[in-house]
Amino acid sequence: MINVQNLTKSFTTHVKEPGLKGSLKSLIKRDKKTKFALNGVNLQIKQGEIVGLIGANGAGKTTLIKILAGIVHPTSGEATVLGYKPWQRDNRYRKQMSLIMGQKAQVWWDLPALDSFILLKEIYQIDNFTYKKNLEFLSDTLMIKDQLKIQVRRLSLGERMKVELMAALLHNPRVIFLDEPTIGLDISAQKAVREFMKNYQVEFKPITILTSHYMADIQELCPRIVIIKEGQFVYDGSLSKVQRMLGDNKVLSVTTEKEIFQLEVPRTELSIKTKEIFENHNVLDLNIQDPSIENIIESIMRNGLGPP
Amino acid sequence: MNWWRHVMAMEIRKILAYRSDFWIIFLGQTAVQLVIATALWKSIFETQGTIQMNGFTLPMMTLYYLIVPIGMRMLTGENIGFISREIYDGSFNRYLIYPLSVFQYKAVTYLTYSLFYGVQLILLFSIYQFTMIDVTPTLMTFVHLFEGVALFLISATTYVLMAMLIELLALWADNIWTLVVMLRFFTSFFGGGFIPLAFFPLWAREILVFTPFPYLVSLPVRTVMGQSSSIEITLGIVVLLCWSFFFMGCVALMWNKGQKNYSGVGI
Repeated sequence: MINVQNLTKSFTTHVKEPGLKGSLKSLIKRDKKTKFALNGVNLQIKQGEIVGLIGANGAGKTTLIKILAGIVHPTSGEATVLGYKPWQRDNRYRKQMSLIMGQKAQVWWDLPALDSFILLKEIYQIDNFTYKKNLEFLSDTLMIKDQLKIQVRRLSLGERMKVELMAALLHNPRVIFLDEPTIGLDISAQKAVREFMKNYQVEFKPITILTSHYMADIQELCPRIVIIKEGQFVYDGSLSKVQRMLGDNKVLSVTTEKEIFQLEVPRTELSIKTKEIFENHNVLDLNIQDPSIENIIESIMRNGLGPP
Repeated sequence: MNWWRHVMAMEIRKILAYRSDFWIIFLGQTAVQLVIATALWKSIFETQGTIQMNGFTLPMMTLYYLIVPIGMRMLTGENIGFISREIYDGSFNRYLIYPLSVFQYKAVTYLTYSLFYGVQLILLFSIYQFTMIDVTPTLMTFVHLFEGVALFLISATTYVLMAMLIELLALWADNIWTLVVMLRFFTSFFGGGFIPLAFFPLWAREILVFTPFPYLVSLPVRTVMGQSSSIEITLGIVVLLCWSFFFMGCVALMWNKGQKNYSGVGI
């Protein structure tokens, strides 16, 4: 179980005026700027639940994950994961947790993955039977058996992510933090990772927090989403609910002799708008659709939960 | 604690993955330093018109400068910036999520490199013993060699703690490169890596005896050459251990304070 109460994290950075004058001034005195990466957030997640954390770059998603993984200390507030304060880095907690960062390799680059796995077996004190069973299961499911003896740096991006997943799951973690696991992967690799995580979640039921900029990841894996904007949660609930809440609009895709354009109009004004379009343009094609989930999320991130 | 054997084995595999580096560093760097030092000291001996200076003959001086570069590598390891670089680029995260002590892990990887350079020292010694004409009036034996290598490993433990202190400043400062380089320079200079300590003025030697520096470089090198007494070695080990405990306390204090500043890079 994850329980987060009024969690705040601020970072202080130095700011420098541009130009030579600014550089000289900064030799004597530097101005500081404090930014709140998280500003009093609350969150509860039950065992077996998978939650999608969505937000723009710099919204605070990764900071939350880093705090819950025990990498970063919060400025104030409380958080417990499986009953432990993550930043106290109790080994009993760390043995039950895994973090996968799509932009940061955790296996050792200069060695074949199997060498890293042997070390992880010792670090996590995995018994031989479990190690062999998990290695077999993960390499079969991820279809990466043949690549495990090749230096990690020589693997493709997709293969590397599969290796990262294997390294992170060898010790049967009860809590998994996935920070943009599909970033930079091609469509088929993204699909493979998604498919794997979906099946893994069903079979092993860990607590999982996933951040991703790819809505396909969120749609496929996360029945519950949390939208974070400038360090605060603006929505915490089911994905389908947010679609219903902001799904009162329709998107009209219009192809005329001269141009192709899209219009987002309230459902109640649909017939009037359609009539206007037919009166003012020589319409070749007209398509009426629900707004995409990307547009809905983007709208929430831009305007909050008010009308788009 | 079984993991440390595997960390050492893995580090050795990493080193061996780039075997050309091993030979380039061993042969190239050692040869360059040897040629420069020999030419320099030969000219000094000739100018002075003497065959012995401060207890060193030219062959002994040559041997001293043959051991120093490898000894310095044993001491300073491979990874300059071995913690700060990872703090700056965020790869330090990895050690915080594993159920082990980050500093134990770092010390083990560091000492693996030291041990590996110890192998180079043994190799060099063997080549020297079996190929060079014995013109060196020293008591150099394999026993002294292994004593010296062991002493270098103890001094490397002290040095890694000193280096950790500097490296951890990366939790506050944006760049600590200059400090890391200064630590290396001071260690080499005050440890007798550039000029043997016998050439330092007496007052300087009397001050240095209270610092860890002479025991980091000069003592192990002289031990390999068979020129240190067992009392000197014992005293050196005691001093190094005292400094190690002091630095260990400082590292723990700094980490307790500094870890709150660690951002793991990015928001």
